[in-house]
Amino acid sequence: MNSNNKPQELTLCAHCILPETFPGISFDEQGICKYCRQEEKKITHLDEKKEEYRKKLDALIEGTRNVSPVYDVILAYSGGKDSSYTLKLLREKYDLRILAITIDNHFVSPAAFENIKNVTDHLGVDTYFVRPPWPVISEMFTLTAKADVFSKTTLLRASSVCTACIGIVKNLILKTALEMSVPLVAFGWSPGQAPIQSAIMKTNPGMAQQAQEALLNSFPESIRKKIIPYYVPKTYFEIYRDRFPQNIHPLAFFDYDEKNIIKELGQIGWMEPKDTDTNSSNCLMNAFANHCHIERHGFHPYVWEIANMVRQGVMEREEGIHKIYSDQNIQMINFAKERLGI
Amino acid sequence: MSDMKEKIRNFIVENFLFGDAGELKEDTSFLNDGIIDSTGILELVDYIEENFGIKVEDDELVPENLDSIKNLEVYITKKTQSAA
Repeated sequence: MNSNNKPQELTLCAHCILPETFPGISFDEQGICKYCRQEEKKITHLDEKKEEYRKKLDALIEGTRNVSPVYDVILAYSGGKDSSYTLKLLREKYDLRILAITIDNHFVSPAAFENIKNVTDHLGVDTYFVRPPWPVISEMFTLTAKADVFSKTTLLRASSVCTACIGIVKNLILKTALEMSVPLVAFGWSPGQAPIQSAIMKTNPGMAQQAQEALLNSFPESIRKKIIPYYVPKTYFEIYRDRFPQNIHPLAFFDYDEKNIIKELGQIGWMEPKDTDTNSSNCLMNAFANHCHIERHGFHPYVWEIANMVRQGVMEREEGIHKIYSDQNIQMINFAKERLGI
Repeated sequence: MSDMKEKIRNFIVENFLFGDAGELKEDTSFLNDGIIDSTGILELVDYIEENFGIKVEDDELVPENLDSIKNLEVYITKKTQSAA
């Protein structure tokens, strides 16, 4: 296995940027990967699909506005570029009553905290911070940095460390929406992170429960017991059956131009952090999480997302190669290792 | 095995098991056995909409319809028959 992640030592798809080390990949005689070929037809109709989803969101928002007593939507807010832009969009375009929830995983960049304060003050948005205690986070990150506990499919799209963290984020947001009877939950997923048909979707209680149990069962008992308070209690799937919210990922169907996003965010006080890696604008753990994944699997955990964005034409191929095939910052890797005592 | 089951199985093996069918059976639970996660289910939905000409509604996104090859066959058959 090639764990160097150097583009000059790997065959990459001639169209997107997926490497030969990506599981199940094959290339045709033109050097195009099978995933690009599978997506060709869909990409042709992507603009129409995006327009359809923008209309769908307009209708959804009109139908849910002011229905809940306090908030129209809960946003999973990391303070990074994508969730900040989603917040701006929901506030300025739709004038929604938003609760932003930030999970402090003990590796949030100080610059991201500053951005959260600036952006929410500027937009007039309430923020909740949830900070699981260090022993919980430390044990969860140490385990997932050292070993893979999730399914192979999950690890195609994210590192073990990120999957563990985002599991808490997604379920805590859902739990809070159920408790507060909020009809929408929003995420700042980029256009490459999930299929467009998931960009507006009602959470089904049965599916959510089974997915949550499968994720929780991936952890050893000692960790499962500690993280379960951030997940949706079993009883909620029944008693709040009629409250399950719609999930929205607006960046999947609005114009996505990274340079423009950063420029627009600059006008509301968001500054690009200098202490994070090429694929994160909020987390100081990310470089180490990527490093562990590349060492174990021979491909970058963000490559699926970025390849999708290149394929869709929302990112230049060269920019994608830079994001995925640049060396991980060794200082950041060492910072995370030292904090975790690895 | 019916053509429909065969097509679904091939898609699962090719896209989620990287060519190694291993112990995949008709009634293997995709979620419980870690074959597909919640995002993967949506890719599966995309595939069946595209290949079997049906529209999966939000309230049909339940494990009883989508969580195994067998459940999918029953669900798709029902949908295509009701559309005919």
